[in-house]
Amino acid sequence: MPSSRTPTVIAQATILDDLSAIVGGEHAYPADESQRFVVDGMTPRAVVEPGSYEEVAGVMRYASEQGLAAIPLGGGTKRHIGNLPSRYDLALSLSHIHQIIEHEPADLTVTCQAGISVAELDRRLRVHGQRVPFDVSHGQQASVGGVLAANTNGPSRPAYGALRDFTIGIRMVTGDGRITRAGGKVVKNVAGFDLCKLYIGSLGTLGVIVEATFKVMPVARLERSVLLSLDTPGGACALSAELHRRGLALSHVQLSGRGDATGYSWLLETRLAGSEGAVERSENEVVGLAPGSHAQPAGSDVSSTDRFSGEHFDDSSLLCRFSTLPSRLAAFIGAVQRLESPDILAEPATGILRVSWHEIDGATVLERARQIAASHSATAVVERCPPELKQHIDVFGDPPPAFQLMRSVKQQFDPKGILSPGRFVGRL
Amino acid sequence: MKRSSLIRDLQGAIGRRWVLHAPEDLLVYEYDATIDRGLPEAVVLPDDAEGVASAVCIASNHGVPVTARGAGTGLSGGAIPCEGGVVIVTTRMNRILELDPENRIAVVEPGVINLDISRSTAPYGLYYAPDPSSQKACSIGGNVAENAGGPHCLRYGTTTNHVLGLEIVTADGVVVWLGGKTADTPGYDLTGVVVGSEGTLAIVTKVIVRLLHKPEATVTLLAIFDTVTQASRVVSSIIGKGMVPAALEMMDKNTMDAVEPFVHAGYPPDAGAVLLIEVEGLKEDAQEQADAVASICRELEAREIRIGLSQEDRDRLWAGRKGALGALGRLAPSYYILDGVIPRTRLPTVLDGVYEACDRFGFRVANVFHAGDGNLHPNVMFDERVQGATKKVLDLGEEIMRLCVDAGGSITGEHGVGYEKRNYMSWIFSPDDLEVMSRLKAAFGASEIFNPGKVFPTSKGCGEVSSRMRAAIARVGADAFV
Repeated sequence: MPSSRTPTVIAQATILDDLSAIVGGEHAYPADESQRFVVDGMTPRAVVEPGSYEEVAGVMRYASEQGLAAIPLGGGTKRHIGNLPSRYDLALSLSHIHQIIEHEPADLTVTCQAGISVAELDRRLRVHGQRVPFDVSHGQQASVGGVLAANTNGPSRPAYGALRDFTIGIRMVTGDGRITRAGGKVVKNVAGFDLCKLYIGSLGTLGVIVEATFKVMPVARLERSVLLSLDTPGGACALSAELHRRGLALSHVQLSGRGDATGYSWLLETRLAGSEGAVERSENEVVGLAPGSHAQPAGSDVSSTDRFSGEHFDDSSLLCRFSTLPSRLAAFIGAVQRLESPDILAEPATGILRVSWHEIDGATVLERARQIAASHSATAVVERCPPELKQHIDVFGDPPPAFQLMRSVKQQFDPKGILSPGRFVGRL
Repeated sequence: MKRSSLIRDLQGAIGRRWVLHAPEDLLVYEYDATIDRGLPEAVVLPDDAEGVASAVCIASNHGVPVTARGAGTGLSGGAIPCEGGVVIVTTRMNRILELDPENRIAVVEPGVINLDISRSTAPYGLYYAPDPSSQKACSIGGNVAENAGGPHCLRYGTTTNHVLGLEIVTADGVVVWLGGKTADTPGYDLTGVVVGSEGTLAIVTKVIVRLLHKPEATVTLLAIFDTVTQASRVVSSIIGKGMVPAALEMMDKNTMDAVEPFVHAGYPPDAGAVLLIEVEGLKEDAQEQADAVASICRELEAREIRIGLSQEDRDRLWAGRKGALGALGRLAPSYYILDGVIPRTRLPTVLDGVYEACDRFGFRVANVFHAGDGNLHPNVMFDERVQGATKKVLDLGEEIMRLCVDAGGSITGEHGVGYEKRNYMSWIFSPDDLEVMSRLKAAFGASEIFNPGKVFPTSKGCGEVSSRMRAAIARVGADAFV
């Protein structure tokens, strides 16, 4: 797809000299053998750490002139997502751009830079009893910009919305080094194209996200978890649907399944949040609907109640994310469960599930998993697999119906093919 | 090519009956809820996406632009064929194609009336959340084009937060799906950029909408204040305490004066402002929030608080708000509806600025607006028969937009840019920002054909020069909404 594929003849030493002139000597260096900047086994020719938007723009102008392929990186926690890069010259680290620009608690909005970690932003907002409803693992490391680029959402989506719902502005540096803004700082705004939507989930292929503005929400006064053991995924999905139908104070409903060919155990974690009266009543109703369950307070580290926290999937040999209709989720789980007994983490309300296999033949399992997905009208994305397998597959599966339009978008935003080339849908 | 051959081609593709070209028929399609005009060369009413695609191809072959039109209730001239050409009307495409209560989605055609979605899903305890005040008349296709809002968008978000997928016809006449029924679909979120693109990227032929469960309990509070400043402080205080009610609306004295003779809401004649606040959720939550809101209102010296629990009582409290704009028509021959957004903490200051500017220009203004999300709607009353009044009122509008932008806000919260505000775009976006937006338009191949003259700054005018000056002057009547 990239239209310009001139082989880069420029020497590494020259690249480092040129980048140093833009960002200062200590902020441009060779990637050496440190794993921090390796993407799917590829090591970049240089690491560059701009300290301002202008420096990001300078780096991109340089990359554009020299035809150097850049991959923007925050905390590096989602490097495993995406296709193999077709080229990788520069690791553009945003770790040094990590300030909160503006937080007016009474406006319920915050503007921060892309490199700030999710945990740090959360800590700073909680001082004011507020939060952005991110729902990600590895929050200490994961950067806000990375979360946006990868469009990482979690089981709190039905309650608090997805990134696309609470992100109201994004500042992005284009491939040719312009600092541009989409959206704004007010919660309601229809001026111009809503490019925020386009950038969320674009995986660094359209530009470099350097700043974002979010709607914030108050921290729930009371939060509690109820863990329910269930015999079947079907029972869990039906229960979840009933809880939602009743409008209970749910902030998170997640189903985890683990087992082997002889049997699976299913655990439904419902987290309740809101006023005391609402949480108490919700808890009573949940427990009433599922005798034998037990409630426990959800601490600040609620993942402790969750047997598959994000970290659990770090060493998957194949991790896939599927999205199906909620009504088909139980049947889908039933089918995928028989495929080498994977670990399963599902959101009954959205029909999204993540399925993780260990020590299997990735290519064979993936092929069968995709057949199951197709027969359940589910989309399937490989989130993690060895680079060797990536050489043979498109991790996003067959191109979506609107692929031609997506290709023109990529062409318009990145005519030189220097922004995370090859990594997106259809190897854009 | 000649107009007659354009019409003949359209008739061949869509059927004679569904192609309008007589002058008296075209007149009906030259305006929307703004009173600017633009006369199309032909109007077509296709029945499906293929018909839309044929019309787009024919227009393209004849080198004329295409403007899509739903119910024509828009407030930024989105449906007006600025540069003539073909108007594609979606009113015949008004079927609810699929209703899936279990997955809480519906697939609808663009001509479906907003409120009809909630009506047909009500038996399942579901509804479609975005509720523009024109929801009895406006179509979902128009809502998608303008990313329409409404009072309850404070809590639930605007149209974009409730659309999962779109079937569109592109500039080269291709029918293609964006997004889909599942929560996640791989690839760029093109659904998200077509929503709110004001008909400039594509024509929408099917919409997948997300439905919500109706809340268990809803409480409506109406609080009356001596001054707008007091009411603004209540708004800031509610939001500042982290409460996000379902709706938080304000009306000022001029609005109440207009409404009272019709609605007999019992607004005291010397009251300065009224807030309408709706909270909902589990009955425990709704009650607790209602108590908290009432206590803030009392603390900040509300002179009266009325509370509605039953549907009937709540409807009564809403009646004044819902009839507000229609009633305003009695106060002046014309009025100009503005739409701007500010950070909520700036409400008292900016409202002061709005009154001051209107005073200085010598116009009466009635403010009736979505206070909770800082979305102002000053309605400036004037008489367009008075020489120079229109020019003056547009200058005033520009000054008020400046106040919003200077406060860190935006030039439109829900009505759209259209052509009225396209030249204000450069106040909030740099040339580079706008250039990047134009890349998207280029990617859709839509540069010339779809709704030209809208959204982006241009030196070209819409229709005749004389009518351009009246671009934003809203039509007054009982069927006017904001």
